[in-house]
Amino acid sequence: MLKPDRSELDYLALLKKAKQPPPPGGKRLKLALLGDVSTQHLVPVLRALFASNGVEAEVYEAGFDTVEVEALDPASGLYSFGPDVVVILQSIGKLRSSYYESAGDRSAFARTRAGEIEEVWKAIRKRSGASIVQSNFVVPYERPFGNYGLQVPDTLHGAVIELNREIAGRARENAGVLVNDVDYLAAWFGRRHFIDEKLWALSKSLCALELLPEVAQNVVDIALAAQGRAVKCVVLDLDNTLWGGVVGDDGLEGIELGESDETGVFRSFQFYLRELGRRGILLAVCSKNDESLARRVFREHPGMVLREEDVAAFVANWEDKATNIRRIREKLNIGLDAMVFLDDNPFERNLVRQMVPEVIVPELPEDPGLYVRAISEMNLFEVASHSALDGQRASLYRDQEKRDEERSRFETLDDYLKSLETTARVARFDPKDLPRIAQLLQRSNQFNLTTRRHSEAECEAMMRDETGYFPFSVTVRDRFGDFGLINVVILRRMDSVMEVDTFVMSCRVLQRGVEQLAMNKVFEEARRSGCKRVVGRYIPTAKNGMVKDFYERFGFRREDAPEGEGVSFTLGLDEYRPREVHIREVAALAERDST
Amino acid sequence: MTNEEIRRKLNGVFQQVFDAPELEVGDATTAEDVPGWDSLAHVNLVVAVEKAFSVRFTTKEVKGLANVGDMIRLIERRAK
Repeated sequence: MLKPDRSELDYLALLKKAKQPPPPGGKRLKLALLGDVSTQHLVPVLRALFASNGVEAEVYEAGFDTVEVEALDPASGLYSFGPDVVVILQSIGKLRSSYYESAGDRSAFARTRAGEIEEVWKAIRKRSGASIVQSNFVVPYERPFGNYGLQVPDTLHGAVIELNREIAGRARENAGVLVNDVDYLAAWFGRRHFIDEKLWALSKSLCALELLPEVAQNVVDIALAAQGRAVKCVVLDLDNTLWGGVVGDDGLEGIELGESDETGVFRSFQFYLRELGRRGILLAVCSKNDESLARRVFREHPGMVLREEDVAAFVANWEDKATNIRRIREKLNIGLDAMVFLDDNPFERNLVRQMVPEVIVPELPEDPGLYVRAISEMNLFEVASHSALDGQRASLYRDQEKRDEERSRFETLDDYLKSLETTARVARFDPKDLPRIAQLLQRSNQFNLTTRRHSEAECEAMMRDETGYFPFSVTVRDRFGDFGLINVVILRRMDSVMEVDTFVMSCRVLQRGVEQLAMNKVFEEARRSGCKRVVGRYIPTAKNGMVKDFYERFGFRREDAPEGEGVSFTLGLDEYRPREVHIREVAALAERDST
Repeated sequence: MTNEEIRRKLNGVFQQVFDAPELEVGDATTAEDVPGWDSLAHVNLVVAVEKAFSVRFTTKEVKGLANVGDMIRLIERRAK
């Protein structure tokens, strides 16, 4: 589980912790470390921090300064290790020498170096499906021109700033590459504390030992995000959290917000929350309040930044907050461990910690002016992908409310489904869809038959393999709004058998006929490829119980002697009866204004 | 800080770094006498000693340490 504080980031304590046995039943993660810094000090710290997150990390340490060799040699230890995540740590040490030793024109230095780094990524991605976590560089402190250096084209300082920008830009273009913003850490803790010349001289350490746990925590955050861990929802208290005062006592005009808030802190906090909403985090309200009064603040108070439409679930009543958080969870259909609860009141925070321990409950400082700082310091919202649709998520839930209202007007489910005028685009994997496809594979837990977390690069490889793989996605819309790309199926042909490697669907579109449409496609595809039967597999996890009968509902038979994980099911092509669906298939969904 | 106080405090640092509550070191103790005292642990030790005594050693001083006695003399010199 995500740790809401960083108090355990003590170097010696972590060394001690690393000697303890790994957590029982924890997930395993294979992590390769490459770098032009020494990694020995980092390894035990990484192990201990992964263990705190319930993950047993197996670590491969490449030799000192062998990044390029390991990446370019197909027979290297890196590839025989078969990593899930490759962490590349590079420091200013080597960069500095190569900058000062390069003779003549240094104007292309940053671009050249960035190009070399990108070549390493490409080499790794060609041979491995691992995510790559690339560090950027700590901007050095030496300033031969003083402040004026910023106005001079050729300085090491300027070259490193440019290089960091190049790394970020190229990471955007290269699937599966994530930046480890070491320069942010150095800036946050102070370069004078972070940079340690003596440790560099003694052991080629990236930074001061006491800050190594911070670097390791950053790696853990990124690696776990790449493996699908993500906060999906922030649950917000209202009184004294979103505004000052208690609306029930002070009235709409009496609360501190906007012009009546001399400090301006509550508006600032709301701006930050709105950014989270735009980035795809669902915002929910959980408040002890009269609902109509609480909603009136959102509708009528001129100082409010957040509006009702920014809130995906609004719960205001007099019940305890643990019950209400469970209610919000039901409504949004997400895991409790994907929720963060923010409340100024220590009593409520403790109650939620006790009653719903899965929920992440950060300690908040007494001064609301420090909320954003406290939350930022915990790095709660690490993510490994982003798509333009993310920001519309709150509206998807509001569209659903309209559908639910509509549904009560129809007598039968069929009539209702017809009335929705659903259209769908079914398409083989497509480069522009890959980020969203990978995101769905990383994040979906419930409607996920095998929970195989294929990375974007692996999806890309399947897309290219036109004889072995038939991977497709389904994008859905109805008259109330867009669902976006919500279903991914990966088929793998093995002689006369079509195997369903992956079948994942967003829970937003349950019982709409999408899975039936997709299954029809599976059999069409199998027929087109000349297969005789389809084989599917269900691998149980703690979260995917809802699909345990999935194949049986389509008439599949359990295989007697299943090989591999989970339970496997089979059905002949001639035995399958295509399902009737009330979805119109289209070649492309036209652009339209978002609802 | 007296020589005796330095010795007692330094011994505590050794116990902490090597996670060995029974460990006792003296002037003649070298890396070979303490299980786990490799180059990796040496860096941990130096950083922990610097922190405990609020001193800073130079790179050269750290490299020149042959035994615990050297370390005590270094601390005495720096911790004025």
